[in-house]
Amino acid sequence: MAALTRERDVREAYAAHSGELYGFAVRSLGDAGLAEEAVQETFLRAWKAGERFDPEIGSLRTWLFAILRNVVIDLGRARNSRPRVAEGGVEPSVEPLEQALLAWQVEEAMRRIGDDHRKVLLETHFRARPYSEVAEELGVPEGTIKSRVYYGLKALRVAMEEMGYEG
Amino acid sequence: MRADDHRDWKLSLGAYALDDLPADERAAISAHLEGCAECRAELRELEGMAALLPLADPARIEAPTVRPPADLGARIEAQIAAESSREGRERRRRRVRLWIGGAAATAAVAAVLALIVLPLDSGENSPAQQVSFASVPNGVSINATLEPHAFGTEIHMYVHGIRSGTLCRVFLKDDNGRTYSAGSFRYRWGNDSDAELSSALDLSQAAAIGVHAGGRTFVAPVSAATALVSGAETDPT
Repeated sequence: MAALTRERDVREAYAAHSGELYGFAVRSLGDAGLAEEAVQETFLRAWKAGERFDPEIGSLRTWLFAILRNVVIDLGRARNSRPRVAEGGVEPSVEPLEQALLAWQVEEAMRRIGDDHRKVLLETHFRARPYSEVAEELGVPEGTIKSRVYYGLKALRVAMEEMGYEG
Repeated sequence: MRADDHRDWKLSLGAYALDDLPADERAAISAHLEGCAECRAELRELEGMAALLPLADPARIEAPTVRPPADLGARIEAQIAAESSREGRERRRRRVRLWIGGAAATAAVAAVLALIVLPLDSGENSPAQQVSFASVPNGVSINATLEPHAFGTEIHMYVHGIRSGTLCRVFLKDDNGRTYSAGSFRYRWGNDSDAELSSALDLSQAAAIGVHAGGRTFVAPVSAATALVSGAETDPT
């Protein structure tokens, strides 16, 4: 795809990337309705600026995320400049946007790695449970837990790189 | 060093990077790292990932994946189609005012005018809207006119080409995505000109109009709303 100028290009881009864009929009805006708006606006801007998309410079995915990032900032501004209408209104995200994007990528990468690896990382790292306890619960040797932590982190890196992470 | 030992050390590097190892094991691996460039390089990558983990929220990892609403893609396409014909519309409006309506609309006219949002009056300030649905199957046309009233919005639907007897439920959406019912009607062959409906949502607040018909949902944007679309275009590069 050389540029994103035809309506069919937009449809393909939507089919490939809308899920992730929406996932991040929900994560950073904390509201499904606003997230829909953000994704819609992202594809509209992408289409309008389609001539400027150059796959030599970066992937379509990266470009769309860059646009979404701007849309989320604009939406946040618009929301903050409006008076709070009622209780239950959405609180603006306190997390800086770049960090929210990175956090979302890590969470998404964790969802993409194998179940065994995710389970072990969740239990040992996030829930701080001893390897021996997790090993017993899963009915595997402790060494297996250790190697799953290793392969889990390796898989996480691959998943992050697929999402354009270059750290 | 035997190859098996090296492999054992390596498999412990994840736990090492996360600082999960007992002191003695950690010390042994540190000693191995001194003399093993391969494991040191491996460790650097693993530590990069270990440093990112605290950003993640385990509850979010385990939460079900969120999916955009099924009709969002169609709404975006409809909006882009509307934008793309806006320029043409400006020119056309001065020459001729076209009314796409029911049986009168031939397929050719409908195709040319696919999703043009024409104000009924040529004056820019006229609040009445005419909407044509773009993402409909071949042979089907759905059009609507929307007029503002004190009670909300009066809607006239013009449907053509769907199965006779089909129940059509109409709704408006505001720009927060909230849905407001506009009632329902049954489409009958030979009587496809005009169904009168109304919704409590003010036309000025309406961002989109939609129809559920025959198990499908069709949505078209309404240009009266001050949607975000009017925001400045930003170049992300």
